Amino acid sequence: MNDLTNPVEVLGIDAGGTMTDTFFVRADGTFVVGKAQSDVDEANAVLTSSVDALAHWDTTPEEVFPQMVTCVFSGTAMLNRVVGRKGLRTGLIVSKGFEDFHRMGRAIQCYLGYAFEDRLHLNTHRYDEPLAHIHDTRGVTERVDSKGGVVIPVRLHEAREAARELVEQGCKAIVISFLSSYLNGTHERAVRDVCLEVIKEMGSNIPVFASVDYYPVRKETHRTNTTLLEAYAAEPSRKILANLSQRMKDVGAKYDVRVMASHGGTISWKAKELARTLVSGPIGGVMGSRYLAEQLGYENVACSDIGGTSFDMALIVKGKVSMHQDGDCARLVLSLPLVSMDTIGAGAGSFVRIDPYSNSLKLGPDSAGYRVGTCWPAGGVDTVSVTDCHIILGYLNPDNFLGGILELDVPRAKQCVKEQIADPLGMSLEDAAAGVIELLDLSLRQHLRAMISAKGYSPSDFVCFSYGGGGPVHAYGYTMGLGFKETIVPAWAAGFSAFGCATADFEYRYDKSTDIGITKDSTTAEKQEAVNTLGACWKELADKVMEEFKINGFTEDDVTLTPGYRMQYLGQLNDLEMSSPLSDIGSPEDWDKLVATFDETYGRVYADAARSPELGFGVTAAIMRGSVETKKPSIPSEPDAGPNPPAEAVIGERPFYYGRKWVTAKLYKMESLLPGNRITGPAVIESDATTYVIPTGFETWLDGHRLFHLIEV
Amino acid sequence: MSTYTKKQVSDLVKGTLDWDTVHLMLSMPKDEARYKLYMEVLQENVSYDDKIILAVGPHLNIVESSKDQEIIIKCDCGHEFGHYSKNWKLNALIYVRDNVEKMKEVYPELMAPDTNWQVYREYYCPSCGIMHDVEAPTPWYPVMHDIQPDLKTFFEWLDMPAPAKI
Repeated sequence: MNDLTNPVEVLGIDAGGTMTDTFFVRADGTFVVGKAQSDVDEANAVLTSSVDALAHWDTTPEEVFPQMVTCVFSGTAMLNRVVGRKGLRTGLIVSKGFEDFHRMGRAIQCYLGYAFEDRLHLNTHRYDEPLAHIHDTRGVTERVDSKGGVVIPVRLHEAREAARELVEQGCKAIVISFLSSYLNGTHERAVRDVCLEVIKEMGSNIPVFASVDYYPVRKETHRTNTTLLEAYAAEPSRKILANLSQRMKDVGAKYDVRVMASHGGTISWKAKELARTLVSGPIGGVMGSRYLAEQLGYENVACSDIGGTSFDMALIVKGKVSMHQDGDCARLVLSLPLVSMDTIGAGAGSFVRIDPYSNSLKLGPDSAGYRVGTCWPAGGVDTVSVTDCHIILGYLNPDNFLGGILELDVPRAKQCVKEQIADPLGMSLEDAAAGVIELLDLSLRQHLRAMISAKGYSPSDFVCFSYGGGGPVHAYGYTMGLGFKETIVPAWAAGFSAFGCATADFEYRYDKSTDIGITKDSTTAEKQEAVNTLGACWKELADKVMEEFKINGFTEDDVTLTPGYRMQYLGQLNDLEMSSPLSDIGSPEDWDKLVATFDETYGRVYADAARSPELGFGVTAAIMRGSVETKKPSIPSEPDAGPNPPAEAVIGERPFYYGRKWVTAKLYKMESLLPGNRITGPAVIESDATTYVIPTGFETWLDGHRLFHLIEV
Repeated sequence: MSTYTKKQVSDLVKGTLDWDTVHLMLSMPKDEARYKLYMEVLQENVSYDDKIILAVGPHLNIVESSKDQEIIIKCDCGHEFGHYSKNWKLNALIYVRDNVEKMKEVYPELMAPDTNWQVYREYYCPSCGIMHDVEAPTPWYPVMHDIQPDLKTFFEWLDMPAPAKI
């Protein structure tokens, strides 16, 4: 029934390749998770999944949608459109003589996103089809130098001709990207206006995108790719989101749908720069972790998300998520600020094979994905997957896999593991399957350790959050012996990304490259000029942020602006992103404050002794973030019910293979466990969407926020 | 280990196999059935009955002659280039592009090599006229002997009985 004193307020949506998850939260923090098979029509899948979720509360979308205040969407449709090269045919206008740079992909796109071995081997390198075909590319004579000065004035008659040809050839959008346009955008803007004129004269109305209006940042391949995505992939998404929004309005929704963006904020589906939402899925989890950490007082968190195909890791240090300035995605270098994450292609559904030369186990790089493994004959897979091993060893319940939607054939899985793995290795079935799981755990553990120590930290400074469909199954395995302060598994691990989306701020972020350098010999006048330049960039970016918020009806009073900058010691290659200590700058003394903040941060991130103020300081980018208040899910808070699980939570026993022997694991139902309950391994806690494994030597207890704490005893 | 269908191997030979599968084939250890499937596909593309042992070019194979079990090199059309241990190119028709005019037929002017430094030698089948190879050496360089397979070891690797006259 619908309870009006405790309304449903927040909806997070994670529309993945196989499943569309919805996450509804009431005002008091209680939540339900819904699942549905993903659909070509995303609105359908979202509504089906909503019905599934709300059924837990005996209510319906028609009753709930009108009272909700916020909805955040994250999906993979745009990414799939790019990967499958199914976007709008887009024409590209570049500086004459540079027509080929886009398809040359900075010479790194041929191996971007590959597994380590494939990066090394030239024969696997391959360039994907460019976003704009060379026949849809035109050069226009013009040149701006590296300081922003005009060397060759733009020949607009060439632009006119180029635009006419591209429209005649059937391009559905035109992108303009000239060299160094981030320093001086006059040429791009002039060509943009000419294109618009020509398009109008020809009776067409296709959109025109000048890179300077969208991503005024250095590195032309990155900038061109990103602007192309805006035309190629984001335009079609805009239509899909408009449809989703409309379908929800039809059911009575009054909120505006927001979309998760790569910088960790959410933006309106009406936003001008929708390509920023290309990467969103795994970011939701990191944002959710940050929110949980903030609410519960954890400063340093290692986030780990294990799904069927990949393992994503990210670090939160002192409550801050680190950012990549030029992230890459779908094998394209992009100028999008991206929450920095490390991903490896090994997951709970990875295929397992024997390398015939070394006679050793090999995991992945491909995975069974939604086809599960040999245990699901209908999936049509003949190669053993990690899931098969889990089923054989009693980690997963074959009768309740994904809530019992799939009927599994355990004898078939046993036969396949025996033939493909155990017999060739001369091992027993159980030891072979256990070896596969140990190998996966070991490789995840090594990557987690490497990611933390490579950044100069130690796992003992961190709490590890483990989520994703496979997180709770592997949490013990990949954290064992690493020495984390604690390992935490949220009871809603499977819907954690959708939850995270709902916790993200409504926030726009814009960046602009700058070339500011001040040494100890610089004069006060030079500092003043530096401050003026940065201030002007902030102003320009703030105007763009406000323009976006105005589309959603917000005024300047509603918006909190947070300026930032990227600074480096002159001559070094790496810069650091900093929130500005000042909301506005005007005097040379302000420069010193920016420098002091950087110097202090640098000492903290690396070491005090590594600071090099004698080199002088450079600002490489101006950043502006603008956000407005949004309703976020509350974290549930329930009273302590003592250490003993209630009788209804105990659902039986199952043989479980761990430490080279069969033991009897107690089974519990996750939803029935109460705060304070303490469970000692071997035990398996089951829920529809995930399974939480506690082997011998481990113990777990549930706290009042429905977070499981995993402890090595 | 991965396994592939004969259709996939056939598409691989034709160059029409999807990239994802090609990538997997490149990255993974070679599947046991590959040699057998590959030879079957090649055999179906030729009109002769001599058993193909190995390919040395898109239309050129090392075969076991059904007449006398000698191991020879043979064009898809059936033309024989002699014993596999000898350079088959010496039995081919050779066309040498060694002046500006001949180069102009394949590359625009000024985009071709200077023929005092580099020439193109094209090797054709005397029977069907198909081009089997092109070399781009300096003009004085001898005819290149591209491949001399050690078939005995090769069949040991394959763990298969080798043809009698290897």
